[in-house]
Amino acid sequence: MGNSTPPTPKQIFAELSVELTGFDRAELAGTGMIDTYYDTLLRMIGEREAGQLLRFASEALDKDRTEKMNGTAFRPAVIDSPRFGPVAVSLIKLWYLGMWYPLPAVYRDLFGSTADDVGHVVSGQGYREGLVWVAAGAHPMGGKPPGHGSWAEPPSLLNPTP
Amino acid sequence: MSNPDYDLVIVGGGISGAAIAKTVVEQSAKNKKFPRILILEAGRATALSADKYDTYVEAYHEALIKVPNSPYPASASAPQPDVLDIRPLKDAHGKPKIGDQGYFVQKGPMPFGSDYARSLGGTTLHWLGTTLRMLPNDFRMNETYGRGVDWPIRYEDLKPYYERAEWDVIGVAADVDHQYYPGIEDDDPKKYFRSKNLEKFKNGVYHFPMEEIPSSYLDQYLAKHVDGMTITLPGMDRDEPDHEFTIRISNTPVARNSTPTTPDYKVVGAAGNADRGQRCEGNSSCIPICPVQAKYNALKTLYELIVRYPYQLKEGEKEGQRARVDIRSQCVATEVMHDDGKVTGLTYKTYYDDGFKPTDHTVTARTYVLAANAIENATLLLASNNAANRSDQVGRNLMDHPLLLTWGLLPENVGAYRGPGSTSGIPSFRDGDFRDARTAFRVEIGNWGWNFPENTPYTTVLDLVGGGEDGKAQFYGKALRKRLGEILPRQFRIAWELEQDPEARNRVTIDDRYRDALNKYRPVIEYDLSDYVKASLPWAAEASRQLFAQLGMAEKRRRPTYETGDYSHYDADDASVVQYEGETYCVRGAGHVVGTHRMGDDPTTSVVDSHQRSHDLPNLFIAGCGSMPTLGTSNPTLTMTALALRTGDKIAEELSK
Repeated sequence: MGNSTPPTPKQIFAELSVELTGFDRAELAGTGMIDTYYDTLLRMIGEREAGQLLRFASEALDKDRTEKMNGTAFRPAVIDSPRFGPVAVSLIKLWYLGMWYPLPAVYRDLFGSTADDVGHVVSGQGYREGLVWVAAGAHPMGGKPPGHGSWAEPPSLLNPTP
Repeated sequence: MSNPDYDLVIVGGGISGAAIAKTVVEQSAKNKKFPRILILEAGRATALSADKYDTYVEAYHEALIKVPNSPYPASASAPQPDVLDIRPLKDAHGKPKIGDQGYFVQKGPMPFGSDYARSLGGTTLHWLGTTLRMLPNDFRMNETYGRGVDWPIRYEDLKPYYERAEWDVIGVAADVDHQYYPGIEDDDPKKYFRSKNLEKFKNGVYHFPMEEIPSSYLDQYLAKHVDGMTITLPGMDRDEPDHEFTIRISNTPVARNSTPTTPDYKVVGAAGNADRGQRCEGNSSCIPICPVQAKYNALKTLYELIVRYPYQLKEGEKEGQRARVDIRSQCVATEVMHDDGKVTGLTYKTYYDDGFKPTDHTVTARTYVLAANAIENATLLLASNNAANRSDQVGRNLMDHPLLLTWGLLPENVGAYRGPGSTSGIPSFRDGDFRDARTAFRVEIGNWGWNFPENTPYTTVLDLVGGGEDGKAQFYGKALRKRLGEILPRQFRIAWELEQDPEARNRVTIDDRYRDALNKYRPVIEYDLSDYVKASLPWAAEASRQLFAQLGMAEKRRRPTYETGDYSHYDADDASVVQYEGETYCVRGAGHVVGTHRMGDDPTTSVVDSHQRSHDLPNLFIAGCGSMPTLGTSNPTLTMTALALRTGDKIAEELSK
């Protein structure tokens, strides 16, 4: 974090979310969903387990940053971890789609999850702020209308290579 | 019936009932007559103010699975069909099975794939808003092609009512010059649309009230690559030569607000909030809900009626000086009482949903209208001691536009997921001499990627992120964001909407075993496709292959891989699977519920006359898509509205006597 004050768990959560989604801190803050999704994580796997995820993620992200490891510490510590990988998967889907996808049975067999860990749309705002719409160069269906005739204009993203 | 409660009672607060009520009020006023009208609506009146309408939008955003009826909650007292209830009508051993888990009781062999909304405003709450007129030959299918039946009226008869529907009720945005239809005089849209109303349209040159909704970037891309190409489709046998079709992308007339073409036309915004929805803003959710009501819905007409003609007389007002319109929701019609060749009253139940017992009511009127949706109209008549059914046609000839979807990943970014659900189509297959052997079809170009066939963007995110047993994210971070940006805007789909022909065996019946919470009959449906319809499936699939090849999408592909190519596929275990000549297809419902009380001149073969009046019970009109003898390839709402205006004129004329 670049200063002497240790980051709060919510700050770590935001940093973790940046790594998982490919959206920067300002973009995520702009959705207004950081607090809600942080609470969602705690509701789904409990405070203690969430604390562990954030501790390991924070250490790996620090390492990637200070030793310029370009994500090579984060991947094995979080993405490839049987303990944190499935939670990361659900968090990515949450950010992109506004919907919580429940953790897999193989995860629960080892680490459990809460009774709240069922598929649900977290909120209407979460749907509207789904990152998938931005990634698609579009807008949420039924929200944030881009204006009359906007659909006739060339799309905002450059032509990708097939 | 010396003192009826009302002049007119209408069952159903949807577009047909609203258009009839408005017409009766306005036409009667010309004769200084001021009718009292009651509209009974089975569903709830949630959204007759703009702020309450917003709760529908929120419900849609919060819905786990987003289907047409997601925003509109139904009561067990007035349940509604839901596409989520559609299941295969076969058991594990392939034996036929009745599907009764939803509102419909589906006896098959195919499930009826469409739904409707039981809420004030009706299914216009979640229609796409396509407002194509029918083509001249659609009204004379038997005469021209030896198929189906002929209408008792022709295109030219209905034309003035189409014009009024487009101007006075719905509000249609389109440009006559951009309508490239087959089967019209000299292939000239100007002649097809030419008006006899010379007062309004100088020299009969017709124009729509609003400028066309701009064609999407996708439409423009397609026009660049396929306009003018020839699609060749094979004849059935050696005697039938190949058929050639020239492709032309055609901007579709729609019920979406845009810029008026004349200062006289006043754009109608949201019900109760006229400043809102003055123009389509590109919310990309016409189905299931237009958040700003820039797309027409019947709430607008109903709202206008209750504001201008409230049932309650104001202080100082006297009876008989103006029309009065009463709308009562949560009132389910239970029986059309009839005796000696006329309707004598209507019974209905009012439900409360708060634990209070439903209450029973009877209402009388000079004239009665059923406008409750084709399936609801039929169910009510059958439950009314077989009312208006001397022809035995009530409930029969149920039709829809079975949709064959084809979809692919284009080589370039076309900006999918932007704009109204569809802004253009390919009308080339809507008419032609091939209709003696196989059904016509309309081609709707979809602007929302693979949302319909594959539930994207959800599934694409899930495909890329992975998870499951492995538990590891495949794509995440910047790579995920980039990959989604490469895939989603290239997703493309077409709906090939097949005309269904009328068949007596496709029908709605009632059965004592199947009732809802109010003890009202649930619709029991038998449904299948004829060989005449099925014969167009290989044609649509072949036309799609040629079109996709021209667009560089010839390779067959399947998710979860994403490469340029044709992703169309049909699974044999799908609920709506159709096997034809060794090939497997799946069709979807279009939400076009048609044909259950068809019109005709002959009382022995039709239920209503050309004014939608019951042949058997002259003070009863049975209105809506159910009256259409054949379906053509147009989405039926505009035609239903034109018919409603014609019926409204007739009722006004009689009430004025």
